[in-house]
Amino acid sequence: MSVSGEAVTPSAERTPTRASRWRGWALSALVVLLLLAALEAGHRVLETRSQAPLYRVIVAGESLTLEAEAHAAFSRDLERLAAEAEATLAARMAPWTEARLAQAFAPLEAAVPGYLDWYFSLGGSYLRLAMGLAGDQAAWLETQRQRRLIEASRIEAALVDLQAAHAARLAREQQALMEAMSATLLERYAPRSVSGAKTPVVAPPTIDLDGRMDEALLTTLDARRWQAAALGGSGIGLMVGRPLARRLAAGAVGQGGRVALRALATRLGAGAARSLASGGAAAAVTAPAGPGALMVGAATTAAGLAGLVGGEFALLKLQEARERPALEARLFEGIAEARRDTAGALGLTVSAAAERLAAGLEAPAGESEPAAGEARPEAYRILDRLGLTAGSDV
Amino acid sequence: MAGRGTISGPLRRHGHLALAALVLLVWSFSSDDWAGALFLPVWVVATQLIVAGSLEAARLRRRAWLGQYLRDDSPWRRWLEGGALMVLRHQLVGALLALVLLVDLRLLSLAEWPLLLAALPALVLARHRLRRRLSRHVVAEHLPAVTRRLLVAPIAALLALAMVLAALWLPQPWLVGLGWEEAITRHLAAGEGGRLLGLFERLAASAELTRQWAMQNAVERLHLATPVAVLGWLVLLLTQGAVAWAYVRLLVGAEALRREGRSPRRGASDEPAPATDRETRP
Repeated sequence: MSVSGEAVTPSAERTPTRASRWRGWALSALVVLLLLAALEAGHRVLETRSQAPLYRVIVAGESLTLEAEAHAAFSRDLERLAAEAEATLAARMAPWTEARLAQAFAPLEAAVPGYLDWYFSLGGSYLRLAMGLAGDQAAWLETQRQRRLIEASRIEAALVDLQAAHAARLAREQQALMEAMSATLLERYAPRSVSGAKTPVVAPPTIDLDGRMDEALLTTLDARRWQAAALGGSGIGLMVGRPLARRLAAGAVGQGGRVALRALATRLGAGAARSLASGGAAAAVTAPAGPGALMVGAATTAAGLAGLVGGEFALLKLQEARERPALEARLFEGIAEARRDTAGALGLTVSAAAERLAAGLEAPAGESEPAAGEARPEAYRILDRLGLTAGSDV
Repeated sequence: MAGRGTISGPLRRHGHLALAALVLLVWSFSSDDWAGALFLPVWVVATQLIVAGSLEAARLRRRAWLGQYLRDDSPWRRWLEGGALMVLRHQLVGALLALVLLVDLRLLSLAEWPLLLAALPALVLARHRLRRRLSRHVVAEHLPAVTRRLLVAPIAALLALAMVLAALWLPQPWLVGLGWEEAITRHLAAGEGGRLLGLFERLAASAELTRQWAMQNAVERLHLATPVAVLGWLVLLLTQGAVAWAYVRLLVGAEALRREGRSPRRGASDEPAPATDRETRP
């Protein structure tokens, strides 16, 4: 591009004064304002020309025809109610769950004194000692707890019952909640319904809230059933049994061996304990050297055991007096923890159900059907899709 | 002093660019209420900036034409130099362009803003280089204007290319297998409808959704070959170029508006120092 620099132009043209610059701004503002006014007018004309849309909503068996404004308010109310569903459902379920949990865990708590009695009985203590020497005391104690606490109290069956009852109760509460919501909405919006005097030519889009509620309920129930089947009794079922037994030993599991040694030490006296410990140590150190070393360890242990007969009962009582409260507290603590966990799992079930319910309510009616067949991807990334199609073509 | 100069110097010299971009950024991410309230002033500012750039370019073109064909003493020079009519035309076009730019900026995702912001240093650097190249060939009086005029196309093309690539990479809503109406009702945010800006946003959003819907369904249903699909996407996405073009014109306009008061060095040496770039306020 060649620009002739000799073009004689007044210098005022090239270096505009402040006034001309302001004139430019003012002109811009004017043009924009004019454009805005024109567009606004057009918008208004379009708005008045177009018919106000009507919406049909089916609530609690009643068909309401709402204008756009009322329909928007209706949608907002529905959303708000759906958002509140979780809190409402939890509040409705909480007292019942609490009572049933207490009921279910009562036998377990009642079984604790019996277990402690056995624990500190003569036979029990010797068994413990023997298993401590044999080495797998922790696992053995777990088995004992399993047998004497869990199976004796039949907590497992109680929890399974509780879960089933909880599911039934949850379904009932959901139903009740839905009905309450429908009633609220109907009460609020029935007066605002447009009477069918001027029915539009085009059928208004219908929202069948009843159907959607039924659908939402169905999906939540289905999902829960599916979950229960997949997990083999859901989260609670998993907790019953071994994990519960292990939880009751909470804190003792890690140091089982050392605790056993210390308990022995109180009974055997300091010297015997040292010999026992050194015997064990010798066995441990020389284990690769062969059976001879093991024999040494076993011999010292046997010697210690032989010296242990006298005063046994008194020592046992002493130990019981010292350790029983702590052990009892630990057991109760474990039970309380298990109970909290169960309550948490049940609460999670409730909130998950409420969430699905809310999602089912808030989603447009058509959305659930394709989602049921296969999960619809959320986003479309061109590069990914092109890569995919290229891969499948080749 | 030198350390302060290296930071505050460029900022002071190119503060107008940063300011313009910042105003657009803040406005496009402000809430609907604020954006609606500030729509008019922002539109006016954007219009004025775009018009400043395009008027300068138009005057340059017109002057070249006059110098080519008319005698120096002809009265036509004054009449044809570009008066109210030209200004009005450019104001109108500028206002429409600014409207398109603003509405599209509202729809832009945060991920694309780094590109728009990166256009600022790119613009400044490109201007420096181009100016140095041109200074040996172009009359000093018209050097800044010519530089700006030549700057718009390459920078806008680069920005448009970058934005198209970003659009290829960014996720879109999944519209395969949906009817057009369903796609619109599902993915178009239902606005209150009162505001004019909201109407424009919905219009632009539905246009974009329609593009995406058409292309996604075409690609997935017809199993287009990859080159064809890429070509189709590129053609559809090139409408993004409008945003890039308007944006760059706005930046260049800001540059022109700020520099235009500067008196060009008449009869300066044939190699203007980089210092000429610096604004010297009268």
